[in-house]
Amino acid sequence: MVNSFQAPIDRRTLFKAGGAGLALAGIASLAACASTGGGGGTNTSGTVTMLYFGEQSAATTLQKAIEPKIKKLDKNASFQVTAINGTDWNDFLAKVLTQIAAGNAPDIVSVATEGQQLLASKDLLVPLDSYVTKNLSSLNTYFTGVHPALVESTMYQGHLYTLPDSFNAGSMFYSTSIFEKAGISAPKDNWTMDDFHSSASSIAKLGGNTNAFDWVVRLWGSWTSFLYANDGNLLEEGKYSGGDWLWKSDAFKNNTVGVDGRKGGWKWGQPTANSDAAVEALEYMIDLQKSGYSPSPDVGGGATLQGLFASGRIGMAIGGGFWAGGLHNAGMKDGSFDVAPFPTWKSNKSLFGAGGYGIFNSSKRKDLAFEVVKLMVQPSTFDTLWPGNVTTPGQKPLMTDARYSSTGPAHWSVFYDQLNGSVPISAPPYYNALATSLNQRTTQAISSGNAKQALDGMQADFEQAAKQSS
Amino acid sequence: MSAAIERRGGAPSSSHARKVQPRPGARRARRREATFGFLMIGLAVIFVAVFTLAPILASLGLSFMSWDVFTPPKWVGLQNYTRLFSDGQVLASFGVTITLAVAIVVLQISLGMLLAVLANNRRRNATRVFFRTAFYLPLLASTAAVSIFMGYIFDTKFGLINYYLGELGLSGVHWLNNPFSAKVTIVLVVVWQQVGFTFVLFVAALMSVPVDVQEAAAIDGAGPWRTLFQIKIPLISPTILFATVIAMINAMQLFDQPFIMTKGGPGTATTTATISLYQAGFQNLQFGFASAIAILLLVIIGIITGLQFLAARKLVFYQ
Repeated sequence: MVNSFQAPIDRRTLFKAGGAGLALAGIASLAACASTGGGGGTNTSGTVTMLYFGEQSAATTLQKAIEPKIKKLDKNASFQVTAINGTDWNDFLAKVLTQIAAGNAPDIVSVATEGQQLLASKDLLVPLDSYVTKNLSSLNTYFTGVHPALVESTMYQGHLYTLPDSFNAGSMFYSTSIFEKAGISAPKDNWTMDDFHSSASSIAKLGGNTNAFDWVVRLWGSWTSFLYANDGNLLEEGKYSGGDWLWKSDAFKNNTVGVDGRKGGWKWGQPTANSDAAVEALEYMIDLQKSGYSPSPDVGGGATLQGLFASGRIGMAIGGGFWAGGLHNAGMKDGSFDVAPFPTWKSNKSLFGAGGYGIFNSSKRKDLAFEVVKLMVQPSTFDTLWPGNVTTPGQKPLMTDARYSSTGPAHWSVFYDQLNGSVPISAPPYYNALATSLNQRTTQAISSGNAKQALDGMQADFEQAAKQSS
Repeated sequence: MSAAIERRGGAPSSSHARKVQPRPGARRARRREATFGFLMIGLAVIFVAVFTLAPILASLGLSFMSWDVFTPPKWVGLQNYTRLFSDGQVLASFGVTITLAVAIVVLQISLGMLLAVLANNRRRNATRVFFRTAFYLPLLASTAAVSIFMGYIFDTKFGLINYYLGELGLSGVHWLNNPFSAKVTIVLVVVWQQVGFTFVLFVAALMSVPVDVQEAAAIDGAGPWRTLFQIKIPLISPTILFATVIAMINAMQLFDQPFIMTKGGPGTATTTATISLYQAGFQNLQFGFASAIAILLLVIIGIITGLQFLAARKLVFYQ
C-alpha cells in the first residue's frame, strides 16, 4: 500500500520545535512571576505598599510625593501605591478583599466609612490605640485640627482603626444661573424642605432639558440625605462604649470643637429601612420624579451627575466638598454655583463619610507603616495628596477662603459647619450586602412607584444580612 | 495489496478475498500514530483539566462548605443548597437568565442566518468580504468596553438615542430604568455584538452546500425560498445545532452587559444567575453559597444542552 501522507516536516522536528516552544513559555512565565512593578505584586524588603481607590495616575503622584519623606525616616524604605478603580466603594472593597484572599494584602489601605467596619470586624486592620498613645506629641497638630466626629466615625468597639484626613458631608449644591433664570433667591442657611420644594417647582417651570433636582442611587448622598433630614436612618443609631483612652487623653485638649458625648464608635443596630420616616423620604423622591422635578436616578458614584450639573442641566444636587474641585475641573466658573446646608425637615441631621488610612494586620512593617500614615495625615501633606479641592480637608485650619478662591463655592464654610450634628453614613460590617440591597430596592421603588413594598424588601434583606454577619 | 488480487481484470469480490494479514510493522505504525495524536491533544487536555475540570470539582466541594476566605472552610452539608432553593431572589435570577438566554439565542440564530443568506447572495466577492468583516467586527471588541459605551448611548438623560428621538419630536424611552425595556436593551446589545459569531458559521456552512444539489433543485423547479428552507437549511442543520448550543451556553452565563449597564437593575429585573453568584461570593464573602449557585447553573446548562441534542435527533440531518 502506498502511503500518500507526506508531512511537510517530520515528527522528530515537530517534537523538537514544540519542546523548545514550551521551554520558552515556561521561562517567560517564571520571569513574569517576579514582578517588580506596581499592581500589588511582590513585597520587596523595605517597601511599604498601599492600596488606593482611584486612578493609577493619582496613586503614582501620591507615591512620588510621599516617598522622599519616607526615605528621610528610613533610607532603605520605599513606597508603592496601587490604585483600584470602581464605580463606588463596594467595588473597591470587593477587589481589596479578593486581593487579601489571594495572599496579596498591602501594608496600608485608604478606606472610607463604607469599608471601615467591614475591615475592622474581620480583624484585617490593626487597632491604632497603642500607636496613637505613644505618638501623641507628634500627632498634636493633627488632633488639634481634626473634627472629633471624623475620628469617632473611624472607631469600632472602642478602638481606633484609621486616622481620617478627609470627609464629605451631604450639602446641597445649586446653580446660581438657573436660580437667577427661575427668578428665585439663593437658599438661606436655615432653609427647609418646603423652601427646597418651592425652588424645585420654580426651576421645573423653566422646562427644556433642565431638571430641578437630580441624584444617584448610593449610600452617601442619595435619598438617604432626605431620610436623615426626616430624622430617620436605615439602621438603629447607637454608639459603642469605650474610647476614653483617646477622648480623655491630651489628644484633643486644644481642639476647639470639644469631645463631649464622643464614645467608642458607631454601633449600627437593627434595620429600620421600612420605618415611617424612610417610606416618607423615598415616597418624596418618587413624587419628585412623577412631578417632573427630577429624572430617574442612575446607580453609581455620581461622576455623570457632576457632568450634567456642569453643563447646566441640573438646578440642585447633593454634593460634598469634592464637588468644588469636580465642578471647577468640569469647566464651571467660580460664581456659577454655590452650596447651602441640606434643608431641614423634621431635623437638621445630615450625613457624612470620612476617609483615612488603616494598617493591615498582616503587614510586616507596621511601625514603618504607621510613620507613613502619620506623614499622610499631617495638614501640610493634604494638598499633595488631594490637590484641587477634590475632597474636604478633615483639618479645620485648612478650611480657608484662599483654598476655595480658585474653585468656589462662595459659601465653602458650609462643608465643615455641616459636621455639627451630622451622623456618619450607616456602614456596618455587612456594608456590601447593605449597599447591594439599597441599590436594588431603590431602583425597584423608582421604577414601580411603590416605596413601601421596596422598603419592606430592603428591610428583609438587611435583616438577613445582619443575621449572616453576626 | 497486490497479493489480494486473485482474479485477472478486477478487484477480488469481498466474499472470496483472502483475509489480509497486516504487515509486521503496520500495528506498530498505527500505535505510533495514535501516541502522536494523544501527545498533540495532551497539552489541550491538561489545560482543560487544570483550568476547567479542577475548578469545577473544587467549586463542587466548596458548595458543601461555608467559607468567607479569612477563616478556614467549614463543612455544612446541603445547607447551601437548601438556602438556594428557598432564596426567592436567587431563584428569580435564574428565571431572568433563562428568559434573556432564550431571547438572545432565538435572535442570534435567526438574524445570523438572515444576514448569512443575504451576504452569501452577493455576486461580487468584494461585497461579500465587506459584509463578513463588518458583521464580525463587534465580536472582536471587549464586552466590557461595549457595555460601557452602550450604557451611555441608551442613557435616559443624555443618551444618543433619546437625543435623536427628541429631535424627531418623540419622548425619550427609559431604556435602562424600566424592568421590561432594560431586558430588551440588554438583549439587543448582546445580539448586536454576538451575531457575528453565528453569521460567520452560517456563511461558511452555506458556501459548503454542494452546487450540484442546488442545481438539481433548480432543475426540479424549486425557487430560492424552497431551496433555502428545504435544501440548504437541512443540509447545514449540524452547523445550526452547533451554533445554537454554543450560543445558549454563552447566553446562560451572561454577566458583563447587565452588570455594567444596569448593575442588575432596575430592582432585580436584569440580575442574572452569574450576578447573583458574584454578589454572594465577591461582595458578601459567602463563597460556599456562591459555589452552590455556580453548580446549579452548570446543571441547568447541562440539562438544556442535553435537551438540544435530543431535539437534534429529529431535526438535524447528517449527510
